[in-house]
Amino acid sequence: MSLDAIPIHVVNMPPAEPGLTGNAPPLLREIAELLHRLLESGETAAIDLSALPLTPADLDWLRDKLGEGEIAVTLQASGESTLNETACPGVWWVTHHNERGVVASQFIEVAFVPELVKAHPQDVEIGLERLELLISDL
Amino acid sequence: MQGPLIDTLVRQGVSRRTFLKYCATLASMMALPPTAGRAMAEAMAASRRPSVIWLPFQECTGCTESITRSHSPTIEGMIFDMISLDYQETLMAAAGFQAEEALHNAMKDNYGKYLLIIDGSVPLGVDGAYSCIAGRSNLDLLKEASKGAAAIVAMGSCASFGGIPKANPNPTGAVSVSDVIKDKPIVNIPGCPPIPVVMTGVLAHYLTFGKLPELDDKGRPKAFYGETIHDRCYRRPFYDQGKFAKTFDDEGARNGWCLFELGCKGPVTHNACATTKWNGGTSWPVESGHGCLGCSEPDFWDAGGFYKALSMPADPLKIAAAAAVVGAAAGVAVSFANRAKKGAAKAAHETTTLADLEK
Repeated sequence: MSLDAIPIHVVNMPPAEPGLTGNAPPLLREIAELLHRLLESGETAAIDLSALPLTPADLDWLRDKLGEGEIAVTLQASGESTLNETACPGVWWVTHHNERGVVASQFIEVAFVPELVKAHPQDVEIGLERLELLISDL
Repeated sequence: MQGPLIDTLVRQGVSRRTFLKYCATLASMMALPPTAGRAMAEAMAASRRPSVIWLPFQECTGCTESITRSHSPTIEGMIFDMISLDYQETLMAAAGFQAEEALHNAMKDNYGKYLLIIDGSVPLGVDGAYSCIAGRSNLDLLKEASKGAAAIVAMGSCASFGGIPKANPNPTGAVSVSDVIKDKPIVNIPGCPPIPVVMTGVLAHYLTFGKLPELDDKGRPKAFYGETIHDRCYRRPFYDQGKFAKTFDDEGARNGWCLFELGCKGPVTHNACATTKWNGGTSWPVESGHGCLGCSEPDFWDAGGFYKALSMPADPLKIAAAAAVVGAAAGVAVSFANRAKKGAAKAAHETTTLADLEK
C-alpha cells in the first residue's frame, strides 16, 4: 500500500487566506491592554513588529483591522519615517526608513502623541535663542 | 536628555529625533524591547562615558574602515568618535610620543573602567617581534592594557579567532585575543570586516546596561550571531527546491538561485548579513551573486575553498591516500587515474574547468 492511499484529515483548519499565520489577532488584545494602561496611568508603550513572527500577510491584516486615522505624520530624519494614527485614537503605526528607503524598523506605539513627534525642551530653548536673534536683527 | 554627544550630533546635522530613531532601530535589531531603545539613547547621550582604548595589532585596518568610513559619515562613526575614544591610531590627530602619552594617561586615569578594543591578531612567533608598536610587542601591550580594562572587545575575525594571519602555515604564530587573556570578559565581534552596526550595538549595550550582551559559545553576541546566514537567506526557497546555480552567471545564477554549489558557506556561518545587510541595507554577498565566505567563523581561510561546496570533502587527495593506506587497490587506482587524467589533459592542452577540479 503506497503512502498516497492513507487519507489525510485536517483537524485545525489554518486561516483561509494564504500567508496568515494567526499570530496577528493576539496583538490586537495586547494593544487593547496597553490602551487600558494608557488611560489609567498615562503610561506609553511600543510594540516592536520586527521582533515578532509576522509574515507580510499578517502585517497587512493588522493594518487592515487597525484602519487609518485622521493624522499622518512624516518625519525627515536620516531617511523618512511615518507616524500614522490608526482608526483607533492613541494607536500609532510607526515605520522608520533609512536613507536608502529600506524599512529599518516598525513599531505600534500606544500613546496620546508618539515620542518622536514631541519637541524636546532643550530643542525648544535652542529654537527660542535663534528666534530671538532673528527678532533682534529686524 | 542632553550632553556633548547630542550637541556634537546636532552640529553635524544629525537632529535629536534622528538619534532617537537610530537608537530605536538599534534596539530592535538587537531584539531588545522598545524601552531599551530609549534607555540606550539616554545612556549614549549622558555626559559620563567610559574611556575607550583601541589597540591595533596584526590587522589590515579594515575593521576601522568598516565602522568609520562609509560613503557618507554614518551615525555609527559619529557615535564612535564621541565615546571618548582616547587612543585610536588611525583616527587620532596625535602621533609619536604624544600619542603614547595619551594612551598611558587614559589607562592610568581610568584604571579598571576603560573598554579595550583590540583589532588584529597577536603574533607570538619570535617573542612577538613580528608586530611591534613603539618598540613593544603586541603581546606585551595586550597584557599591559588588559590589566586595567573593564572588558575587552575583540573586533574582527583576526582578534576573535586569529583571522588571515593565522591561516596555514601561520608564519607569525598568530593567535586570538582570547588565547592570550583569560581573566577578563571578552566579546568577539568576528567578520572580515564585521558589520558596523554590530560594533555600535555592543557599545550601546555596554554603555546602557554596564555589561556585555549575551554571548554564544564562541563569545559572539547572540543578538547578531545567533542565526546562520542560511537560516535567514532570501534564496532559501531555491535551496529547498533544489535549484542551484552551477557556474557564475549561468541561467540559474541570473534567476537568483541558490549558490550552494558555488561554495556558499551560509549554512555554517553565523552573522547578521542576511538581515542587516551591508552599506546601509544596500546588499550583501549572496544578494550580489557571490556565495558567503564564512568570514565570521574561525579558520575560514582554511575551510577547504571559497568555491568548493560544503558537501565536498575538503581535501580529496588526502582521502585517496588514506584509502590506499587501508589497502584498497581501488584507492591506488584512483590516485593513478587522477594523475593520468591530469597528464592527459596537459598533453592534450585542455583547459581544466571547475568541474574537473572537483572530481
